Amino acid sequence: MFVTTARDLQFRWRRFLVAVLVTALVFGIALTFDGVNRAIKKEPGRLVDAFAADVWVVGEGASGPFTTSEVIPAATAAALNGAEGVEQADPIVVSRTTLNLDELEDVNLIGYVPGGLGTPDVVEGRNAEGPGEAVIGSGVPLEVGDTFELGDKEMEVVGQADGLRFFFGVSTILVPLADVQDVVFGGQPLAMAVAVLGEPENVPQGFKVLGNEDAETDLKRTTESGTSTINFVSLLLWLITAGIIGSVIFLAAIERIRDFAVLGAIGAPKREIVGSLVLEAVFLSTLAAVIAIPLAFIVALGLPFPAEITVIAILRLFGVAVVVGLLASLAGVRRALTTDPALAFGGA
Amino acid sequence: MPDITVRDLVIEYNSGGYAVRPIDGLNLDIKTGELVLLLGASGCGKTTLLSTMASLLTPTSGTIQVGDIEVTALSGKAKTLYRRDSVGIVFQAFNLIPSLTARENVMVPLRSAGRSRKEARDRADEVLESVALGERGHHRPGNLSGGQQQRVAIARALAMNPPLVAADEPTAHLDYIQVDGVIRILRELAAPGRAVIVATHDERLLPLADQVVELTPRAAPESRDPETVELAPGQVLFHQGDQGDLVYIVESGQVEILLEKADGGEELLNVIGPGGYFGELAPMFGLRRSATARAGDQPVVATGMTIRDFRARQAKSS
Repeated sequence: MFVTTARDLQFRWRRFLVAVLVTALVFGIALTFDGVNRAIKKEPGRLVDAFAADVWVVGEGASGPFTTSEVIPAATAAALNGAEGVEQADPIVVSRTTLNLDELEDVNLIGYVPGGLGTPDVVEGRNAEGPGEAVIGSGVPLEVGDTFELGDKEMEVVGQADGLRFFFGVSTILVPLADVQDVVFGGQPLAMAVAVLGEPENVPQGFKVLGNEDAETDLKRTTESGTSTINFVSLLLWLITAGIIGSVIFLAAIERIRDFAVLGAIGAPKREIVGSLVLEAVFLSTLAAVIAIPLAFIVALGLPFPAEITVIAILRLFGVAVVVGLLASLAGVRRALTTDPALAFGGA
Repeated sequence: MPDITVRDLVIEYNSGGYAVRPIDGLNLDIKTGELVLLLGASGCGKTTLLSTMASLLTPTSGTIQVGDIEVTALSGKAKTLYRRDSVGIVFQAFNLIPSLTARENVMVPLRSAGRSRKEARDRADEVLESVALGERGHHRPGNLSGGQQQRVAIARALAMNPPLVAADEPTAHLDYIQVDGVIRILRELAAPGRAVIVATHDERLLPLADQVVELTPRAAPESRDPETVELAPGQVLFHQGDQGDLVYIVESGQVEILLEKADGGEELLNVIGPGGYFGELAPMFGLRRSATARAGDQPVVATGMTIRDFRARQAKSS
């Protein structure tokens, strides 16, 4: 069986090579999409963790600290500080803006109290210490030392942090709360949420407390349709790969009908004939998966979103490849099983 | 090796909705060591008989006994094992697996039988050597001549050392130089312990045969006195698939010409009345009757005559 499979692969290698390369490309795209999906799904958790808060105090009508448009007085934080169960409370503002660089760049804008909750871990430069200073997250096309305009203010990038993307891979800039209040609220002392370290026993009327999990779930909701679309497209891509491998195997099976008949006529058991086809399909599919791995990393480089291609995703790809191979071989197997060995007696 | 016996073998199959019976009541005895030729024109049932002996087709009735195996009683896996262990088949179009080398082609039945790779390789080399292809074992079929491919096919058929070798038109695709080698090998194969059955229409093989089985209907006799037949209403004169020597002219009554269908039904093709004739094709071309002739609902009187007499009569009347 192995020899028959290996020899047939050698015999039809050009066709199989084309099928493997095309399948590898589709597998690679699917793997990249999986990586994008993984990164997008992890964004909310990472953002919430970055604030190192235990709970969030927001307006009663707000669904979460990062999605609400309901503003609250920034002084709420001061009221909470010193309240029972509260170690620290700092106001934050979450908004969107555009940076007028070579092209307009959409970014998330977070206003925080420098040194307070939400102060990012910088990997380059330093943290913002006062007005006019900003820290950028991954993906913002600026470097430490660059300046940009935020409303009518000129800001200087003093540090860079890792990650901090949200709302489907959109990069983030973090600036002192006062600067954001100037730009977004015309200088009014407002905020959108208060990050709290500790667990306040009571909050003022008109406010409510949300846990980190609530904040994360609320943020995930905003990308749900995007991740669902990626999942659906991924499923279509798996089906396409099954179609590619399946059609190649089916064509090979049609060409080999006489061979199947001969094998049956000379007493080869059906499991050998079928096994050879299945093995061929699984081999092609698995080989395509191997080639897909470097391709996925190359494809990911060209995407505007981050993609996290993990070992688990790669292992899962091999599992999918085996399933795709098995499914793809079904039509060919059916053809082989229904071939009458008496056909071998036909003329040339 | 025990003998091969075929008893009352009838093979009927459906061809486009009509029942075709190429083998009708065949009896045959083959002794070990014999080379038997199944001789006949295309379509006479040679390959059908060979396929049935190889357990690839199931006969309508009758028995085939190869040694102590009743081939016609086998089913499922037993058939596969019989084909693998007891029959070596040589196909008309060689039918080697194109992706495998000559040696690997010969190894296929051996590996299927569970022989180790080394055992199978050694045996393949041995049989390839016996057909003078020991040096060509690593070639693919596409790189071998027709004669060499047929010899590889013979080697594959011999791999399991079967008691029966069935060869279907083994010389059909070979030129006369290649035929010589193949014929010689087939003759040598028919030795004690093994019978060789060759289906062919190649009469060059006749001198080598120990037994010739003519499957084409014998030629109609050139001279024979006309005979009058009287049929009762509904009586059948001849059946579709019968051998036929005579052309019939209807003297009185009406004869229905019917096609027998595979599902047991029949299709009326024609009704021949007085002065009309039928049944000329079978004696003219050495074919079996292609339809059934049956008296209508009245008694029939018809005259049967040879083709020569029929032609003379037609010439005279025109």
